[in-house]
Amino acid sequence: MSTDYQIKSNAARSSIINKLKKEVAGADYDKLPEELSYQYQQLSKTQQVEQFIGHLEANHAQVIKLEKQQIPQVVSEQLKQRGIRTLLYGMQAPHSAQMAELDSYIHAEVFDFNLAENKEKLFNQTPAGITSSRAAIAATGSIVLWPTETEPRSLSLVPPVHMVIVDAEQLYANFSSLIREQQWQDNLPTNAILISGPSKTADIQQTLAYGAHGPKELLVLLLNA
Amino acid sequence: MAAEQFDPNESKYAASARAFRDNVSRDLGNDELRDNFRGAMDYLMDKRTKAFVDGDELETLREQCKLIKQRCLLKLPHLLEQLEENLQANGIQVHWAETITDANDIIAQLITEKNGKTVVKGKSMVSEETALNDYLEERDIECLESDMGEYIVQLANEHPSHIIMPAIHQNKKQVADLFADNIEGFKHTTDVDALIGEGRRVLREKFCNADVGITGVNFAVAETGTLCLVENEGNGRMCTTVPDLHIAITGIEKVVEFLDDVPPLLSLLTRSATGQLISTYFNMISHPRQNDEKDGPQEVHLVLLDNGRSQAFADEELRQTLQCIRCGACMNHCPVYTRIGGHAYGTVYPGPIGKIISPHMLGLEATNNLPTASSLCGACGEVCPVKIPIPKLLLRLRKESVKPANDETTVMKGEGSGRKKIEAVIWQGWSLMHKYALIYNTSMWFATRLRKLMPKKVGVWTSVRTAPKLAPKTLHEKIKARNKTRSAQQQNTIATQNIGGK
Ligand code: SF4
Repeated sequence: MSTDYQIKSNAARSSIINKLKKEVAGADYDKLPEELSYQYQQLSKTQQVEQFIGHLEANHAQVIKLEKQQIPQVVSEQLKQRGIRTLLYGMQAPHSAQMAELDSYIHAEVFDFNLAENKEKLFNQTPAGITSSRAAIAATGSIVLWPTETEPRSLSLVPPVHMVIVDAEQLYANFSSLIREQQWQDNLPTNAILISGPSKTADIQQTLAYGAHGPKELLVLLLNA
Repeated sequence: MAAEQFDPNESKYAASARAFRDNVSRDLGNDELRDNFRGAMDYLMDKRTKAFVDGDELETLREQCKLIKQRCLLKLPHLLEQLEENLQANGIQVHWAETITDANDIIAQLITEKNGKTVVKGKSMVSEETALNDYLEERDIECLESDMGEYIVQLANEHPSHIIMPAIHQNKKQVADLFADNIEGFKHTTDVDALIGEGRRVLREKFCNADVGITGVNFAVAETGTLCLVENEGNGRMCTTVPDLHIAITGIEKVVEFLDDVPPLLSLLTRSATGQLISTYFNMISHPRQNDEKDGPQEVHLVLLDNGRSQAFADEELRQTLQCIRCGACMNHCPVYTRIGGHAYGTVYPGPIGKIISPHMLGLEATNNLPTASSLCGACGEVCPVKIPIPKLLLRLRKESVKPANDETTVMKGEGSGRKKIEAVIWQGWSLMHKYALIYNTSMWFATRLRKLMPKKVGVWTSVRTAPKLAPKTLHEKIKARNKTRSAQQQNTIATQNIGGK
């Protein structure tokens, strides 16, 4: 059964579409001008890594280079430095198994609950979260997340400290090349996110402040760099 | 008449736009406000300049993005259909509205169906356009702005004065006073980190408990059925992640054809707006929560709003207005905006973009003054990332505003409303004078001879200027006289030379 607003919406739809179609009737889409794009300079892998780190640091993120087996040790250290004892992580991320090896001082917990029933816990009792990443972009210093049921999207958003593991092998020159090479148009997930630093705002007198609503700190653990 | 379908009077902004001249006098006299804008605009212009170090890259990108937007507009009806189809296939529901009231109504009903009581809202200028907060408030639904700037503006009971930085008209002291008056237990401080911390504390509680999240959309991708959001604070992500219901609202012109169109547009948007290579977050939503997922909204809706856009679309020149990606660069570089500030316009969208888009939303009758509030210096057109020829469109709107009643073309609501009999007569006389030399010369002769009779006060114009004095003789007369003396002198010289030569 259609409700009142659905009927109205359908009427609006035909009215809008018809008006627009009338104006472009007969337009020849084969004769559109060619859209040139700028040819960016090709950088070597090393240069790309440098560029990636440079942009992230300029945006107030901390980048730590490490090897895979060092993850437990580095994560433990970083949390200790901040006096954090609780860490939330995803169920099946490549680093999940390693979370058992964290310093005993840290209580690592798996995100295996439904957010709706655990909002209070996530918002007020989870000082840090750690996630994996799907790719990274050199030109803008961005990390790409495709959250899943085993690594929910709020894990990289709500806890004040977000640690993210990025593999330098997954680095793409820019956003365009990433979309093309991974053929995003065929399989976008529920939510894809580009993250390029900790949450920030300059809404009060153009003064930059970090930790507006999302994480105050973004810690990038960079493998194979 | 074109576009009779929407009633501009249903927007509260029509009245404040009509009061443009009074608003300007009010705000020009406010030194603190002018300081705030000057500081902010200098900052934003500087940031933009630094983000575009390579001039070739900038120009190529601008040309590319202009063509992308023009292609998408030329295909607009088909892309909207494709967008709807793909969004629906992805599980996102689509609604259409021609007027702001219809859009608000859809949103209110979606919320009531779910028994929603509290809404957190990410930054959305389209929802400002529809005055959604007021509409929901009247129906006992709390609607809280969660972008820091918007939150400040809402606390102050004001409207955004800038489309990217809504609270740019306030300085930190004013924000501190505002917090002290409105937030219980707030210890007065002008430390920006502390102020933001306070906003964070209040708003996180709201995110945690809200039933509904409402946001705008920066790009809607037809090919994939994806809603893209650009932001720095993370409030947009909160609104689209925590509550069970997410409603997005956007104008019909925001659709792009391919995912591949997004990166160049995004790059120009953030660099033109705030000088950032990219925003902190770029959020792409293609589905509601899927089977086993543990968070994200159960339902996602998109409301597509016309509100005068199809009127702009109908005219090929004015259609360019819809290329806009709402970066705000035109206001940052506008000498008028910098001086009068964003509120003086009285419209949702201030500055140059406001002057060319508002007449379609509110009708030309209410917005007649806006296209004239420009020195036509051209700065807006020069910085516009999608190359909208804003100055040309301003001239066009001025023409539409004074269009004679017997002109049979119809372009927009309120056209011809700015036409004044006396002005029309004066211009007719003017053109006659410049057509016939005899009329011109005679009237000039009289004007110069009777110049003592010229009034010292010429309406509003002389309220800030001294009336000019006409010269005793016209330029034509002077040149004639000079040529006469010259040729007489030449004759003399020739005569003398001839004598000498003998
Ligand atoms: S008109 Fe151009 S410069 Fe102004 S907001 Fe729109 S895109 Fe930006």
